[in-house]
Amino acid sequence: MKCKWTSDNSLLLTRVLTLAVLFLAAAALFCIPIITEWYDAVSEQKPIRTVLNIVLYASDLTGMFAVWELHRLLTNIAKQKLFVQENVTCFRLISWCCFAVAAIWAVLTFWRLLALFVALIAAFAGLILRVLKNLLEQAVAMREENDYTI
Amino acid sequence: MPIIVNLDVMMAKRKISAGDLAARIDITPANLSILKNNKAKAVRFSTLEAICRELDCQPGDVLEYIPGEASNGAAMP
Repeated sequence: MKCKWTSDNSLLLTRVLTLAVLFLAAAALFCIPIITEWYDAVSEQKPIRTVLNIVLYASDLTGMFAVWELHRLLTNIAKQKLFVQENVTCFRLISWCCFAVAAIWAVLTFWRLLALFVALIAAFAGLILRVLKNLLEQAVAMREENDYTI
Repeated sequence: MPIIVNLDVMMAKRKISAGDLAARIDITPANLSILKNNKAKAVRFSTLEAICRELDCQPGDVLEYIPGEASNGAAMP
């Protein structure tokens, strides 16, 4: 049997993956104390369990919010609502979530320098999303101008 | 938008209804309503030409410039 891969299937796969990530992030909330306990046990440096707990909880919750916004964006795409202000807001919020995670991990660099890598990656992702947000904002303005040209 | 469309004034002067004018200039009543209510972002020369022809007027009779702030949509950071 020949399987036909359509854009609808691709969108469905993305939505399923997004929801899976959301559930994984929710499940990770319960594992954070175990992870930090294990980290302090294997780490040869000064214990930072409390700080790491705060950083991981804050990052996980921010990440969950970003994934939820991603889900909203995908729902709009499925409804053929592409160049609308709501999608610009989604991109803007996701980009700010990335910057927030970057700031949280930047604070952790006072204890562990390697956290700087996570902060830089999150900041770069936020920057890319911000450019996409600006692009979509212009596209929305162009669509509105086109719709309101009589 | 500092450009005001005074279409309803000219329509009243010529005693023509919105539906009638829309049919004569070949646009939908919904689009004519957008134009009349100053919600339009741009007007095609072909539409302006048709309006001037049907209302027997000049573009200046339906369009008016009122100095003021340009309406750029406020963007969020």
